[in-house]
Amino acid sequence: MTDFTTVKRARDGDQEAFRALYDENVDRVFRLCFRMVGDEAQAREYTQDAFVRVWECLHQFRGDAAFSTWLHSIAVSVVLNGLRKSDRRRKRERSLEDAGFLAGKPERSEPGVADRLKAAVDGLPEIYRTVFLMYDLEGYPHNVIAETLGVAVGTSKARLHRARELLRGALGEEMREYV
Amino acid sequence: MSEMNDDRFSEELEGLREGYNPPPDTPRDEMWSVIQARLEPRGRGVISLDEARETKNVRRYRALRWASAAAAVLVVGIGIGRLTAPGEVPAIADNASTTIARNPNVFRAATVDHLAQTESLLTLVRADARAGRVPPSMARWSRTLLTQTRLLMDAQGADDPVLAELLEDLELVLVQLVGIADDASGDRERVRSEMNLALQGLEESDVLPRIQAVVPAGPSRYGT
Repeated sequence: MTDFTTVKRARDGDQEAFRALYDENVDRVFRLCFRMVGDEAQAREYTQDAFVRVWECLHQFRGDAAFSTWLHSIAVSVVLNGLRKSDRRRKRERSLEDAGFLAGKPERSEPGVADRLKAAVDGLPEIYRTVFLMYDLEGYPHNVIAETLGVAVGTSKARLHRARELLRGALGEEMREYV
Repeated sequence: MSEMNDDRFSEELEGLREGYNPPPDTPRDEMWSVIQARLEPRGRGVISLDEARETKNVRRYRALRWASAAAAVLVVGIGIGRLTAPGEVPAIADNASTTIARNPNVFRAATVDHLAQTESLLTLVRADARAGRVPPSMARWSRTLLTQTRLLMDAQGADDPVLAELLEDLELVLVQLVGIADDASGDRERVRSEMNLALQGLEESDVLPRIQAVVPAGPSRYGT
């Protein structure tokens, strides 16, 4: 748990205090960035951007939320903005259906369940994907996710439910094999 | 979905924890050295509201108000005119857009004035946000500009992909600003956080430099 005096020292320009904040939080931030982008160079860049932005905005941190939550909200927004930017560049418009995940009727030559599931996670709309990655893969509780994303706890739960529903739908045929 | 299926799905999720973008060890020191090089001494780069209002761009805003009001009247007026005109008007926005698109000079003038006005708003918002404030005029102004941006998006069609992309990015930023202005929760921390998000999007999409690349500098931007 971050000591607020460390935050205050960093806010006053103490880079050693900022390094302490960095050390305490960088692992989780980097892990989340990497989960979201799946590329080490990009994850590094987003993590660095997030910490630089935190340094620049520290004067706005009043301590109403936990420092780590505030930091995570900045990191997530850095990643999402980055992904939106690169997505627009690629003129993505790739939907789950376009990717063939929902078309179903898998044949033996198609990728296995695990690969299809990974591809389906990639294809989730970002509002669901972010909650899914934070909760199911990184183990953040709903109250932290909600604060990080600036939504209600109920919204976080609803998004997770929807994400899982979409993933089940994408694997519908596969799942039936196990009934 | 059966219980068996739920179990199987849970197993697959468990597998994802190990198999979906598994993070490597954190390159702490490498990242820190990059971050440290980018840290500015505290206090630099922060512009107070009063200073911001003295900047060239903000002074420009005052001079631009009349020009941009004319652009607003031009763009919105065509839409209203079409709405109230006798005869069949099946799609107002389409007709207004088509009218503007048919006349490249009208379209260019409206676009340049609109972008200049937007640049002024974004400059003001950015300066106020750095001072920890939200400009009181942001709600009305950003809503008007959002409407105009959408009309121009309809009007410009696919003729100019660069402009189309700029308008698309601009729309995203303006939607965020309108959302912030509409947030009636009164939660200052949330407003600050939303504002940071919007500004970050603004920086990362390079909207301001791209506007400046389209809008001619100096008096020519007024169409003279």
